[in-house]
Amino acid sequence: MHFLKQCTWLLILLCSAISAHAQQRVSGRVTDKEGNGLPGVTVRIQNTNRGTVSDIQGRFSLEANVGNTLVFSFTGYKTVQQAASAGAMNIQLEEDFANLDEVVITGLATSVKRSNLANAVATISAKELYGVAPAQTFDAALSGKIPGALITANSGAPGGGMSVKMRGVTSIFSNSQPLYVVDGIFISNVSVPANLNIITAASRAGNEQYQDNPSSRVADINPDDIENIEVLKGASAAAIYGSKAAAGVVIITTKKGQAGRTVVRARQDVGWTQARKLLGMRHFTEQTAFDKGGAAARDAFIAARNAGKLFDHEKEMYGEKGLLLNTNVSVTGGDERTGVFFSANRKDEDGIIKNTGYSNNSLRLNVDHKLNNRISVGLRATYMKTSADRGLTNNDNNSVSYGVALSAAPEYVPLLPDANGNYPLLVGGQNPIETRDKMRNNESVNRVITGGEIKVNLQENTKTNTRLIVRGGVDYFHLKTEAIFPRSLPFMKDNLEGASIQGNTSNLNSNLAGILVNQFAANTKLNFTTSLGATLETNYLDLIVATATNTTPLQTNVDMAANAALQQFRTKYRDNGIFIQEDVLIMDAISIGAGVRFDRSTNNGDYKKYFVLPKASFSWNLAKMPFWKMQLINSLKIRAAYGQSGNVAPYGARFLAALPNNIGGNGGVLVDNQLGNPDIKQEKQAEFETGLDVSFLNGRLTLEATYYNKNIYDLLIRRNLQPSTGFTAQWLNAGDLRNQGIEIGIGAIPVNTKNFRWNTHVNFWKNKSKITKLLIPPFPMGAFGNSLGNFYIEEGKSATQIIGTLGATPGIGVLGNSEPDFQLSTLNEISFLKNFSLRFMLHWKKGGDNINLTQLLNDLNQTSPDYDDDKNGNGIKDGDDRNTAFGKGEAAGFVQDASYVRIREIGLYYEVPVPRNKYITGVNIGASLNNWITWTKYNSYDPESSNFGSNTLSTATSRGSNGLSSGVEVMPYPASKRATFHVTVTF
Amino acid sequence: MKKHLIILLGSLIGLAACQKGEIPNLNSPIVDDAIRNGTKVKLDNLMVGLESGTRNSLATYYDAIGLIGREIYRMSASEPRYTKELMGDGALDNNTFYITNPWSARYRVVRQGNIIHDVVANATYLSDAQKKGYTGYTKTIMAYQLLMNLNMTYTNGVRTDVKDPNNIGPFKGYPESLADIAALLDAGKAELTGSEIAFPITIGATNAAAVIKFNRALAARVAIYRQQWAAALTALNESFFDLNGPFENGYFHSFSNKSGDQLNPLFLPQNTTSGEFRVATPYYVAQILPGDDRIAKATLRTEPASQLGLVSNRDVWIHKSNEAPVFIIRNEELILIYAEAKIQLNQIPDAIVAINRLRVDHNLTPYAGGITQAALINEMLYHRRYSLFAEGHRWIDMRRYNRLADLPNPRPGDKVWEKFPIPLTEGN
Repeated sequence: MHFLKQCTWLLILLCSAISAHAQQRVSGRVTDKEGNGLPGVTVRIQNTNRGTVSDIQGRFSLEANVGNTLVFSFTGYKTVQQAASAGAMNIQLEEDFANLDEVVITGLATSVKRSNLANAVATISAKELYGVAPAQTFDAALSGKIPGALITANSGAPGGGMSVKMRGVTSIFSNSQPLYVVDGIFISNVSVPANLNIITAASRAGNEQYQDNPSSRVADINPDDIENIEVLKGASAAAIYGSKAAAGVVIITTKKGQAGRTVVRARQDVGWTQARKLLGMRHFTEQTAFDKGGAAARDAFIAARNAGKLFDHEKEMYGEKGLLLNTNVSVTGGDERTGVFFSANRKDEDGIIKNTGYSNNSLRLNVDHKLNNRISVGLRATYMKTSADRGLTNNDNNSVSYGVALSAAPEYVPLLPDANGNYPLLVGGQNPIETRDKMRNNESVNRVITGGEIKVNLQENTKTNTRLIVRGGVDYFHLKTEAIFPRSLPFMKDNLEGASIQGNTSNLNSNLAGILVNQFAANTKLNFTTSLGATLETNYLDLIVATATNTTPLQTNVDMAANAALQQFRTKYRDNGIFIQEDVLIMDAISIGAGVRFDRSTNNGDYKKYFVLPKASFSWNLAKMPFWKMQLINSLKIRAAYGQSGNVAPYGARFLAALPNNIGGNGGVLVDNQLGNPDIKQEKQAEFETGLDVSFLNGRLTLEATYYNKNIYDLLIRRNLQPSTGFTAQWLNAGDLRNQGIEIGIGAIPVNTKNFRWNTHVNFWKNKSKITKLLIPPFPMGAFGNSLGNFYIEEGKSATQIIGTLGATPGIGVLGNSEPDFQLSTLNEISFLKNFSLRFMLHWKKGGDNINLTQLLNDLNQTSPDYDDDKNGNGIKDGDDRNTAFGKGEAAGFVQDASYVRIREIGLYYEVPVPRNKYITGVNIGASLNNWITWTKYNSYDPESSNFGSNTLSTATSRGSNGLSSGVEVMPYPASKRATFHVTVTF
Repeated sequence: MKKHLIILLGSLIGLAACQKGEIPNLNSPIVDDAIRNGTKVKLDNLMVGLESGTRNSLATYYDAIGLIGREIYRMSASEPRYTKELMGDGALDNNTFYITNPWSARYRVVRQGNIIHDVVANATYLSDAQKKGYTGYTKTIMAYQLLMNLNMTYTNGVRTDVKDPNNIGPFKGYPESLADIAALLDAGKAELTGSEIAFPITIGATNAAAVIKFNRALAARVAIYRQQWAAALTALNESFFDLNGPFENGYFHSFSNKSGDQLNPLFLPQNTTSGEFRVATPYYVAQILPGDDRIAKATLRTEPASQLGLVSNRDVWIHKSNEAPVFIIRNEELILIYAEAKIQLNQIPDAIVAINRLRVDHNLTPYAGGITQAALINEMLYHRRYSLFAEGHRWIDMRRYNRLADLPNPRPGDKVWEKFPIPLTEGN
């Protein structure tokens, strides 16, 4: 509070201190090389924040001193500097094919031109994100677009849920998902389970982690509002974000209003979604039915066949074509002092399973305003309401989830209700059609993300200027999970007698930062940028789950029940940081940076202790040196960067808690099986990266190559204790992990004519991880035990190796690795016949194994579609072969290559020529396919799958996800693909 | 201007420190606090937790032991290891749920007991008699927990000294472990004698005398495991043993729908068609004597349950609702212990009296078989099998009498395990 008061006082002081100069009006016109006026070009007086934006004809005018340097910048064009002259100025901008003049945010308040950048920062533009073939949610739209990242969908359930791992696994047990920052506001991406475990008992045996398949909160963001995304992949780029940046930072900037004509844009998408792949049903014969279930099964098969009642249950369950609707209206406008962006979006989608679907309604208002030449404010406010009906999928131990139950339903058994609405009973599982029709598993979110920024020019002259930036924001959401199982479901009978499980989570993230930035131009060839700041981030999460059982028929309120149980879980943390950073730019060619951040967190054992996180960077663009004569190469940059970041200990790691354990109406507490560690500290990451960026032929061909070496020290490991101590686990800083990798990006414009232009980007990336030190014995983790395949953390080995029992030979052996050999993606845009544009993206993931237990469950129930095949030609059915191998304890069969080649996105758009009129300025129509074609040998629905999710909250009584375990598949919600038609009208 | 800058810089750094203080655990009490700043209410909460914790992973224990003892089939569409590994197909995994979950749940209760001892040691607010009530009951429960783990690992043994988590004792062999458990029960009994129970108990006892009877019943069970037949009879005399009393007298884990409580995990409704079955093996019916009313513990299903070649048409029906109790020890077992000890001590007439008590009450004619120890042991084991069906005894009894080879294997790949491996993480 004290600080705010001072700040206000200071602002008043500053406002009154504005000095007046002898100025005049300078005006002119900005054009492209064909002489067409360029609207929206930013014109700024160097070293100040005074400026304007060109109008629709490219004209501009502003108050300036003759001789002042004006900077003209515009996305996609090279920046031009020119001295202000008294007469009309004519400025011609050249296209910047290699995006060398693109400005990249590198600090909390500082940015660097790409041509001087020392890190490989991935940038995703709005067009790349959402302009090809829109995915359902923002997080899904990132797939394949970030070189260096392994992005996997946890399941196909509506409402998202993605695992994003930048440059390998960055933590074994703790968070390995990146920090998301939207317009400077640190947003929450926690997944909160719906407590379906009481129904599915998924965590009862094999693995104590909850497997509820929750959605991820970053999916709430409307992708249509995003202007661009920058991805800081490791500590060398993200050190300034401190202890939250160990897994990388995704910096999202939303659209802004600009001076000029107000543009209203309306967009309508209509499409459908369907399963990417259906496995099919096993087709029985009298003999195979007999083999499966004896004479009774054979008779049932004969009766069903003769009556023509052999069913495709899988198609009934997963075969829906879901309608996709998306409507967006946005308004952009403003004048020299104020810019406004407003958007409203409504998305309504059905899933590929009946009674599942997703809706997202969002509103956004972004206002930027200059109070005067010294002070500007930016305000960001967005409200989102999302709702996801996610069905009941994933692993379970009560045979109720759709896939597990389907595996028990051969084609000759009926599942559909009769004329009276009575569902047949299924032997060996709960009739999944009945469950689907009667239950409800909904997650709904009301969320507000809002914040603002004040920039104050404290001082400016021709040599130096000093700015103060104060930025703060809050991200508040209320998540309601509602799982309703009416008592008419057969598995409720004589059991829970109906269940209504309602979770209420409220989460508040807030952050506040104050940063001082000084720029000092010692002379034209030497520039210094100094920044100094402090940050504060807090979080408070409060989860209350009410589980009511023995419910009144048709009622869902938790008090309409004979029994109710309550659970509450809260987390709270407060992190502080102080940082200082110095960047030196010499001759616009050599850039040297150094900084240090001091960080502390209440989640650490010692909450007062500051951790020191340094960074340093260097880049040298040889082509900008005076001696450079080679015309062919217009930019050649060598670069290196080093940085450290941290990852704070999980909440509660410090304590030995006593957990509620009641009996006989008496309240009791039982010692937790997790021993507290008062000395727990954060993981420390040190990353070094170096690279070479070359631009040929004036940017028509570019190459970006990066090598990185990322070491994570003091790994937070939830180690196993000898269980006879009474404790099974304890958080310990128990090892080191290294990730090494390369990222190569090639951009080219092979053809660039008036009627045909082809722009292509190819990215290749590869990562190798290794546990370099482990202070505790090697241990398995992450899946369901060694006989079903498991991850195994062992010194000297890959962090993601998969081991399992070997059958005949005792003991375990390495069976695979979930880390891909490499990934390759290519994004292409072909513009032709003036108004057509074809965009497509291909993604190849080579290698990387999954643990496929979907197949196991189908095999055990003898319902796998390929059960009767004999691909190895040994005269024994493949299904029998696999079951025999499993019986012998051979886990190798479950570890399967999850390579794929996928056409992630393909879209064809046509800019309809609109005759000049007063109202409509543009009409764009298009059609797109998302994830439509996949080539893979993986023997299940989709190679992307994670039974354990990512970023799932751990509570006092439930275990969430860890840093590793994507790629374990147990009866997921099958992945879907999308076909959409688009119309955009601009007014 | 310079001055302003300095103020500003100061404020920025001040910002980092504008909120102060540690953030405590918001969700539950901390154990340290109960030890250092104990009160009777906190202590009683720990006692309730101790009892409550004895129920964790109970179903896994009974299912695993029932499967190996060929009493039940536990079929689960989504958990194949019940009908595979536990039936002997493949190897037992030393790092999976059927051993790790019950093992650590039992030792967690033992840890709770040791914490309670630390709290009681500092408890100035308790009388000496009260203190002895707390520690005597805690020791009884701890001994019971160790016995359950020893039942699983048998000659692989257990650690009986785990008081200091940083310096736990070694694994001890089967006889040594049993001796330690017996000594712990004796110590518990000694403390309970003349003590006062000042905390809530839900196992069916309310006062020190009743807790002593419970303690001695467990001591009798341990004594027959140790083949100390006379000691078993001595312990029985101090227990709630009643040759003519109701079979269902005894001490139990209770379950309820109340908030924070647990439901009986061994309960499954009859005739479930879901993938989850707990059924009697066909041998139960095949080998029961005609007229034996204990057939009612395995009720006929409308449709047989099957998985991977295992088939059964009878549900296990001893827990009839999800709030039904699970017995820890009951009079019917004590009568059987009495009979066994008498047979072993060659006091045949007494043994036959006890056997006939069971036979007559289970709708059979009085014993008319051979009057040899061998014949009576067979008879006694028959009654242990049917009287204590699915209560965790059959496998252990067959092991005690070296008869595991007599247990049937329904499928060619099956075999009967003798013991569970020590959990992998004990090697850490």
